[in-house]
Amino acid sequence: MRLSVNVSFSYGSRRVLRDVAFSAERGELIAVIGPNGAGKSTLLKCISGILKPEGRVELDSLDVLSLPPRERARLIAYVPQSSYPEFNFTVREFVEMGTYFTGGSVDEALAKVGMLERGGESIMKLSGGEYQLVMIARALAQNPRVMLLDEPTSHLDINHALLVMELLSFLKEEKILIAVLHDLDLAIRYADRVIILSSGRKVWEGSVGELTPKILEGVYGSRFEFVEGKLGRGLIAALDSKPLNPL
Amino acid sequence: MRCRTIFTVLLLLSAIFLFAGVYIGSVSLSPSDVTSSLVYGIERSLPGFSNPSAKPRFFVIVWELRLPRVLMAYLVGISLASAGVASQALFKNPMADPYLLGISGGAGVGAAVGFEYFPSHVSLLAFAFSLLAVYTVYSVSKVNGRIPVDTLLLSGVAFGFMAGAVTSYFVSIGKNSHLTYMWLMGSFSASGWGDVAELSLVLALGLSFFLWKWRELNLLLFGEESVTLGLNVQRFRKEVIFFVTLLTSVPVASTGIIGFVGLISPHIARLLVGPNHRRLTPAAALIGGILMVAADLVARTVARPTEIPVGIVTAMMGGPFFLYLLRKHKRGELKR
Repeated sequence: MRLSVNVSFSYGSRRVLRDVAFSAERGELIAVIGPNGAGKSTLLKCISGILKPEGRVELDSLDVLSLPPRERARLIAYVPQSSYPEFNFTVREFVEMGTYFTGGSVDEALAKVGMLERGGESIMKLSGGEYQLVMIARALAQNPRVMLLDEPTSHLDINHALLVMELLSFLKEEKILIAVLHDLDLAIRYADRVIILSSGRKVWEGSVGELTPKILEGVYGSRFEFVEGKLGRGLIAALDSKPLNPL
Repeated sequence: MRCRTIFTVLLLLSAIFLFAGVYIGSVSLSPSDVTSSLVYGIERSLPGFSNPSAKPRFFVIVWELRLPRVLMAYLVGISLASAGVASQALFKNPMADPYLLGISGGAGVGAAVGFEYFPSHVSLLAFAFSLLAVYTVYSVSKVNGRIPVDTLLLSGVAFGFMAGAVTSYFVSIGKNSHLTYMWLMGSFSASGWGDVAELSLVLALGLSFFLWKWRELNLLLFGEESVTLGLNVQRFRKEVIFFVTLLTSVPVASTGIIGFVGLISPHIARLLVGPNHRRLTPAAALIGGILMVAADLVARTVARPTEIPVGIVTAMMGGPFFLYLLRKHKRGELKR
């Protein structure tokens, strides 16, 4: 199973993505990183069909962009950037929405994120981390081949962020996973492959082992240092420009 | 289980209010006057009826005046409430009501023009202008075949103000402005069996669509993203706009612009059965029907023997409730 992407996208006359091409396979977690406004979220929205890009998105040579939404939802699930839940659905009702047109299993999805016992609770009473897990469960309930996650760890405390990343490490064995990550530290620890976007172009792609501080410096403008410790590899960043001094 | 109880209570309340609506009025009747007239009326409409001499007293009041009127109030309440639920899902906004698409504004202009120049075609003009209004709001908002709901909402509001100005113009220069004015507030005093039949047909279509599409309405709350859950969101929005227009413009054309019921009923229903449209739409519809029958009852008895427009009653009930919702909204609890 192989997802190949080659898309461009414009909002009116403003070019947001320019010939961003890559392919993804099962068994690896792909992190899309890059500065604010690079087009990372737009890329996920193009692949998931929320936006209509120019170009192609193919899953094993099946053109997914031309599929009707129902059929696409069985193949590709999208986990939006976490926001505060606005309606008082129960956890079960919320996850069920993933199954309306796909026929997946709610129980299975809830069990995978460890929330099976909590189906009756209101999503508005969950913590940010728990809500993120429920959103992932909704995507899992679609029983998709591909999962796209837009900043799955933003707003989460470090423990929930790690919990989500570990969950993704297991899921990548059965699904193609592409996640936009702002946290570079988590990206280099958990991703297998990294795609860097800047100003709507893909500027670098490679395995996480090939990523060097110099590459990141070229994209972000900060200085970087990789460090090795007992718990694994980490990243230290420092501002390279003159700091803003409000005093 | 709890939901079943709620629906049973709502159905019982419907029956009670419908009966009360027929029973109470400016002419005092006894309960047996009402039941004998109802029984006679039903018998008369069955095939093989032959006993024309036994017509009960007050039959005309019960069967020809009050019953169609009360039924009409109930059906209009159901229409506006279910259109309200769908509008709130469409706009992803709990402050939305079915009039936001420009229907009330257009209907007001149509009625004002009608009362001044074509007094025998007021309903028809109100209906035609409300469709024209929705079409205008819709066309202005459409971008490349898509309908961004934020734009739709804003153009609906802007159109409402313009239509209000045009209506006010006709009211201020017209000779029949008191009629226009009364019409704008809404009334069931002229409702007959014809109106009931017409609206039943429309309601059968529109309400079954919204009941059938409860999953799609749930997904609509996620806006553009709902496409990733399998909803053809652009097409479904157009269908929702069509059926909201149907369920709103037909009652408005025959009874005037009755506010607040389409806004409040979904909220009360949400408090009772939650946000899932599988239960929300039927609950809101029943609540809308009950509220409208109750409001009409107040409208024709509070200043007996004069009737006040039912829109005054719904606004008096709805206004304070709306303010209460606004206050809750500030605390971020509104959508619960």
